[in-house]
Amino acid sequence: MDERRTGWVLIVVLVGQLVFLAVQGARTGHSYLERAGLRVLGPGARAVAGLPTSFSSFREGLRTRGGLLAENRRLRREVEDLKLRLMQLSDVENEARRLGAAVRYATPPTGRIRAADVIYVDHSSFLRSLILYAGETPAHANQPVLSADGLVGRVTTATGRYAKVQLVTDRAASVGAMVLRTRRQGVVRGSGRGSGSLELDYVPLQADVRPGDLVLTAGIDGVYPRGIPIGTVLSVVPGGQLFHKILLAPAVDFGTLDQVYLLDYQPVPPTVREAVPGARP
Amino acid sequence: MRALKLLGALAAAVLFHFLGMHLLPAHLASFFARGVDVFLVVLVLYALESSSLAALFVGLAIGLLHDTLTGGPYGLFGFADTIVGYSTARLAQRLVIQRATGVLALVSFAAVGQEAIVAGLAFLLQPAPELPDPVWVAVEAGVCGVLGMLIHIAWDHWQRAAEARRRGRMSRLRLG
Repeated sequence: MDERRTGWVLIVVLVGQLVFLAVQGARTGHSYLERAGLRVLGPGARAVAGLPTSFSSFREGLRTRGGLLAENRRLRREVEDLKLRLMQLSDVENEARRLGAAVRYATPPTGRIRAADVIYVDHSSFLRSLILYAGETPAHANQPVLSADGLVGRVTTATGRYAKVQLVTDRAASVGAMVLRTRRQGVVRGSGRGSGSLELDYVPLQADVRPGDLVLTAGIDGVYPRGIPIGTVLSVVPGGQLFHKILLAPAVDFGTLDQVYLLDYQPVPPTVREAVPGARP
Repeated sequence: MRALKLLGALAAAVLFHFLGMHLLPAHLASFFARGVDVFLVVLVLYALESSSLAALFVGLAIGLLHDTLTGGPYGLFGFADTIVGYSTARLAQRLVIQRATGVLALVSFAAVGQEAIVAGLAFLLQPAPELPDPVWVAVEAGVCGVLGMLIHIAWDHWQRAAEARRRGRMSRLRLG
């Protein structure tokens, strides 16, 4: 084929891709090509992810047997303490339920969690994601992903046993959030700049927010339930306009994630969601 | 045969990428992810020796493969690598790039070009994009350039050795 025709082919391919990118903007997680890519690369990533874990844990186990025994004793004590705490909290929960029932308060659904292995983490600049092995039960788009420390992100693409997760530190991610101490709501998103920190936006200047405040999900975005830790306020600077400039340290250390939890949670039933045409996710 | 070689190179690149990400400690894995784009190196080395049409489609395929492993809109790297593949092949048709330093310069230039295209597209498509860190762009260009140059030298060396072995066998056959 001569170069002139190749030039036309290039233009057609590029325009096609631009259209694809533009259409995709409103329909995250619906790309068949991306799912196919995930199906091809997922098993490879999983196979490689298994290598260092088993090897290094075996080597570590041999080297630190004494340390492991001490840690085991400490963890047993911690489990006993937590059991006691759980019993106390169960009493509080029952009491809250009784009081709620007395005033006919309908509690929002909390959902069930299941573990999933992290098989690949993308560390590149402002595009932050990870790939999960979800196991027999497939994940679905917009499913919340948590760790023991707090919020990790949401599933953007799911295919078979694999799922791609957009981390909360991604520049394009946004989460409805609230400050635990004052219940003031805002929107959390990745601050970018490769720092891995978060920003809490749309908190007015008159709102009381201080460094050290804990920020949780507010349950207002139709994706995440209320009460999952997102991060801690690092600094509060008055912004140029009406809002504070608030920087957060994420609750989760994304560099050490090897297992996460998928939350089976349907915050808004499809029939209700369809009745509100402008609503996202 | 060429397609098989390309598939082999891609499989090796994917394996190298996964191994780098999982075997290195977290801080080095972060450097590896941001500084070493092994898919781009494979694309540029392939485009150096192929037609612009083939380089265009291979660029698209490699870019989409890269997109699967990153976040953000799917097709960002597909778009950038299509242009990089086509431009590299066109450049290779006009210039004779045989020296290792030429390959280094070309891969480095391609890395900068790819980052610029991805950043430009991100500004068009993302709600709150950011400019890539110039230091990291320079690091990526340097590392990719050196990696491309080393692979080019190794491949060249291996081909010459294979050719020498083949000639040796042929001459022994004639003598026999």
